Amino acid sequence: MEQIIIQTLHGLVNGMVLAMVASGLTLIFGIMDIVNFAHGDLLMLGAFVGASVLGVTGNYWLALVAAAIAVAVLGALLQVTTLRPLIGRDPLTTILATFGISLVLQQYALWQWGPSVRRISEPVPGEFTLFHLQYPWYRIATALLAGLILGGLWLFLKYGKYGIWIRATTQDRVMAQAMGIPVPLVYTAVFAIGSAMAAASGVLFGPFAGVTQTMGFDFTLRAFIVVVVGGMGNLGGSILASIFVSLLEAYAAIVVSPAQAVIVSFVVLVLTMLFRPTGLFVPTPK
Amino acid sequence: MTERWQDEPWAKDMWWSGKTTRRTFLGLGTAAAGAVGATMLVPAPWRAAFGQARPYKVGVLQPLSGTAAAGGKTALVGTQMAVDRINRSGGLNGRPIELVIADYESKPDVGRRKAEKLVLEDKVDIAEGGYLSNVCLACMPVFEEHRTVWMIGVCLDTTITTTKCSRFVFRPFDYAPAQAVAISPYLVEKMGKKWHIAFLDYAWGQSTRDAYIEQIKKNGGEIVGTTGIPLGTADMAPFVSKISGSFDGIFGIFFGANAVNFTSAIYDLGLTKKYKFAGDGAIAESTHLPALGQKIEGFVGINRYVPVLDPPLNTPHHRKFFDQAVAALKQIDPSGPLPDRYVQSNFEAMNFLKLGIQRSGFRGREDTMKLIEALEGMEVKEGDDFPQGDKTLRKEDHQAFLREFIFTIQNNKHKIVEVVSKEKTVVPPACKFV
Repeated sequence: MEQIIIQTLHGLVNGMVLAMVASGLTLIFGIMDIVNFAHGDLLMLGAFVGASVLGVTGNYWLALVAAAIAVAVLGALLQVTTLRPLIGRDPLTTILATFGISLVLQQYALWQWGPSVRRISEPVPGEFTLFHLQYPWYRIATALLAGLILGGLWLFLKYGKYGIWIRATTQDRVMAQAMGIPVPLVYTAVFAIGSAMAAASGVLFGPFAGVTQTMGFDFTLRAFIVVVVGGMGNLGGSILASIFVSLLEAYAAIVVSPAQAVIVSFVVLVLTMLFRPTGLFVPTPK
Repeated sequence: MTERWQDEPWAKDMWWSGKTTRRTFLGLGTAAAGAVGATMLVPAPWRAAFGQARPYKVGVLQPLSGTAAAGGKTALVGTQMAVDRINRSGGLNGRPIELVIADYESKPDVGRRKAEKLVLEDKVDIAEGGYLSNVCLACMPVFEEHRTVWMIGVCLDTTITTTKCSRFVFRPFDYAPAQAVAISPYLVEKMGKKWHIAFLDYAWGQSTRDAYIEQIKKNGGEIVGTTGIPLGTADMAPFVSKISGSFDGIFGIFFGANAVNFTSAIYDLGLTKKYKFAGDGAIAESTHLPALGQKIEGFVGINRYVPVLDPPLNTPHHRKFFDQAVAALKQIDPSGPLPDRYVQSNFEAMNFLKLGIQRSGFRGREDTMKLIEALEGMEVKEGDDFPQGDKTLRKEDHQAFLREFIFTIQNNKHKIVEVVSKEKTVVPPACKFV
């Protein structure tokens, strides 16, 4: 029972961070049909920018905001210069382009910040006793903050004027353009928002481990899994799938070895592709 | 007598005076053709004698992109430091060293392809480097098949010099069985009898785990459990949360970013307050210390190299290496980390090759067996080439034995607590060359 409670907490915390990463990925796919292989590297870049700003200012919250803005600007630039010219071409070209961007960003981080691991200190100190563990409050705060950011994004998409533009473009880009929505600008804005979400996730996750140029690998892979399981382009589905997959992995860790536990998410992916390729958390097509 | 030879009467027809005559053209053309032809006809040894020596081509395999890129880049610093030093002092046997660097992208299949390219297309004379054990294991058969000496720079998987040993592969630094022999008495007698081992679940972690289980038990200790965590796991908290019960310490076998993730996870969950924390020295490399801060305080580890200038590393040789390495690392890392074991072992690996080439008169791959014979059983003394200390490169398995440092982390710095002489790290060979 102890382990079930502990792993539930781990699953929820990791699930919320993963949901932040996956939300950006699914938003970009939903509107532009772009599978962004550089998403994890935008997370890594956000963490490095956050660590640098934190090193200079000593203010975590400023670092979080600065990283999100800096990477959003970079994301917008990448979209305009690299991905916009590829719109309408074979999807393979965008996959290759984002894969190339991923390699460039990793090498840039290694060149700019060097091989040393960087640190982001916890903004919320203290811990509480959870059976044999001392559970840090920061992990709980991370889950709550991720929930708030995701809630803000949902409200923006649901009620904000520009959020409605994004949803309209996602549903029917030709009709949206006919109604006067500047679709190319919406594309750029969505890529910037997705990049900002990835950067914020990097800063939130930073204190869990260290900041390295490879920290995005694991997230990219897992985010792709939850985006497919949740239904490609479906924001709510991705959030639910993130929590679902993270909880499954955490529970699996109780009974099997860690190496076997990480396979669980791949099993879920394969089963979803076989039996419900539209995603587990989307209404059944009628 | 005129001031310049060009003004002499005999030179008037040869020197260009503003118009090209037929005689000038034919004269200069014949001279140029003769010079080019003569250069082509001069045999290679003569060219060598006239300063155009063919360089020794050394293939270097490192992960310069992918998951292990940070470590690979650091390791390459050691190789380049040694090569620059050799070339500055006139090369080897009058020939400079030329590095052919191959990035294997942290992937075994790419490593194997790059190793084949080095020996078949680049036609390297010898090879050096390696970082990830699974890549080293994948590349060993390539060097064996093409009869090329490979001086490994980092890979620590035990089987490289035991069950999978090769006559063409050398490991000029320590391995887990030697480290386990060196630190296990300290662990059991000074820290506690009961241990839980957490390890990185791949070739190196698994073989290292086995070595420590054997030695801790041999010294009267007990292993209460083991936890293997996959390479590249971003958040290890769900896996380390299962570590509980009554025992004295957690022994960690991790490197690189995985080491930082593991240490953060067990510290954040309060496990380092409850249990003692020891492990492979790779957990506390100098590139990790700033990121870990308070989390690594009190850690006890074993390593072949620690970046301190305290005895017995307070020698002029080590200070020279240390200062040069700090300057070289600063060029690739603005935070200016101190050197680590990856820089040290690659630096010394190149110097082993240097001595082998000098002693065997190695000219190229046709002399590979001579080079192997020169390297087998080589004893080297502490000095500018080997700032870490004396070493023996054992003939039976091509495994080096050297002194080990048991250290702790105090105020975010390494502090040597015990030095284990190389004689006390020796374990029997377990290799049969085919």
